[in-house]
Amino acid sequence: MTKIQFLLIGSLIAGAAGVWFALGTKLLDRLAMIALMATGIYFVALPDHTTAIAKFLGVGRGTDLLLYLSIITGSYAILLVYLRTRRLERKLTEHVRAMALHHAVPPVDQP
Amino acid sequence: MQAPFPGTRTDRLSVLVIVPCLNEGPVLRQTLVELLSLNLGVVVVDDGSSPPMRDFCRGLPVHLLRHSVNLGQGAALQTGMDYALGLGAEYLIHFDADGQHDPASIPRALEILRRGDTAVVLGSRFLNAEHTRAVPWLKRCILRGGIAVSWVFSGLWLTDTHNGFRGFTRAAAQQIHLTENGFSHATEILEQIHRAGLRYRELPTLVRYTDYSQRKGQSVANSVNLIVDLLLHKILR
Repeated sequence: MTKIQFLLIGSLIAGAAGVWFALGTKLLDRLAMIALMATGIYFVALPDHTTAIAKFLGVGRGTDLLLYLSIITGSYAILLVYLRTRRLERKLTEHVRAMALHHAVPPVDQP
Repeated sequence: MQAPFPGTRTDRLSVLVIVPCLNEGPVLRQTLVELLSLNLGVVVVDDGSSPPMRDFCRGLPVHLLRHSVNLGQGAALQTGMDYALGLGAEYLIHFDADGQHDPASIPRALEILRRGDTAVVLGSRFLNAEHTRAVPWLKRCILRGGIAVSWVFSGLWLTDTHNGFRGFTRAAAQQIHLTENGFSHATEILEQIHRAGLRYRELPTLVRYTDYSQRKGQSVANSVNLIVDLLLHKILR
């Protein structure tokens, strides 16, 4: 195993552990994340397999296949984060608006 | 025909002018004083200004609401409308805080709304040659483009968009539920007017471009942001 493989696999395992222990996410999310990490480790550990899969799919090199996959995964992740932010923003809006209405100062009470 | 000007005592309860504001200077007070001289109810929605706009309203008989954090003009307008409807307002007016609108437009809008055949009055800078000339040329080009964009998204073809002056009857205001907090609410309002089948009319209004309102207003680059917001809104609803 080369040095870079050690480095990559180490980071992937650290990432998986971080997700598992640090983030209090749902079991399904955790498992999906672990599956993703495991796939990552597989690709790093056995680059020949990656190339074989790439050839099978009609992509020239394993590296290219990984690039395409990471672009798709990355865009998907950004979309999910964006949607979550929107949901949060909507909740915040409702809350702030309710507070504003609750604490409204009518003309007679103006200092 | 003479509009009811200045308003009567009951106008303070039945007509509420909603003024969203964010970090305005003394010009806010000036705008409020002008509005109050019409003897109408005024609802100031401070959209999380820092420092709060309270000081500029001191001693003025206005309704004061404050968002504890900045949400955007669309959210401020919706809060103001919810409040005004809760008070039982019969007519609601949207009015910019930066002094660019002419308060004299309000009695003209009310006159149209009171006739009963129009539910929404929308201010337009481009119905009158003199008003059109008051708009800086670059702004004019962008707003013309905005007309087409807003037609695509809302289905309404107007002579002006993103004019903050609007008037609603109570029934019409009840149909408006803004979810776009930012400036794309201007198109969202039109979309909802279209969807609810509300009868609208454009009213020629003068927009006073002062150095202050220019600085506070929407930048040219922001119009690109607006289109992106609208697209995302359509897609990710």
